[in-house]
Amino acid sequence: MPEPLALRCPPDDINTVHDYVQRVWDSAPDLDSMDKLKFETAIVELAANVIQHADDGDGVRGTVVVTVDGDRIRGSVTDTACASTVALEPREMPDQSAESGRGIAFIQRLVDVLHYERRDGENLWMIEKIRQSPGS
Amino acid sequence: MKFATRNLDDRVTVITGEGRLNMASAAELRELVAGAAVAGRPRIVVDLSAVDFMDSSGLGALVGCLKTARQAGGDLRIAAPSEQVTMVLQLSNLDRIFTSYASPEDAYRA
Repeated sequence: MPEPLALRCPPDDINTVHDYVQRVWDSAPDLDSMDKLKFETAIVELAANVIQHADDGDGVRGTVVVTVDGDRIRGSVTDTACASTVALEPREMPDQSAESGRGIAFIQRLVDVLHYERRDGENLWMIEKIRQSPGS
Repeated sequence: MKFATRNLDDRVTVITGEGRLNMASAAELRELVAGAAVAGRPRIVVDLSAVDFMDSSGLGALVGCLKTARQAGGDLRIAAPSEQVTMVLQLSNLDRIFTSYASPEDAYRA
């Protein structure tokens, strides 16, 4: 697995997260393609949420980690902003005319676990997806 | 993400994207569609054949662009979405709103 991504926005942006996830996929060639599509979509939504909302005036600082084991893909995103107030109860999909607000609803439909906690003065977001085709 | 705009004929504008349609690139798509609408060419096709990823910000931009095109008397249709883009459209139920065609040439064919 590649080293965790230390995110610094700017100059990093959401494409930095994509490039990191691609390095993880390159190191796990037996992953199912739909597992990758769903998980990448979820972790990018999570990271985009952090990039958008965790800027305390001095940019966004955090980490992104994705790991793959035999039966699941795990991801975490941390940031150093003040405690998040984003509600994680099950979300309805927004109306078709909405131009925002789908990120958390997407994550809830794409992965099996979405968890948030405040740990050591940081926000810690975790997702997990059970693999459709478990690896060895 | 790169965008290119071309006129398909005297009525239809094709905007071709290449890369990831996400929070970093969504604003540029909105500007291009707004520009086409202001120029009197609101019948738009977004060619997604080379867009390998779209997130909710990109999807939100497409919704906004659809409104812009319709308010100007036109429409916005999409061509050749990838597997990931199709998944996102289905997840959001917006596959019912965005008519998808195999190619830009097919989008406004009578």
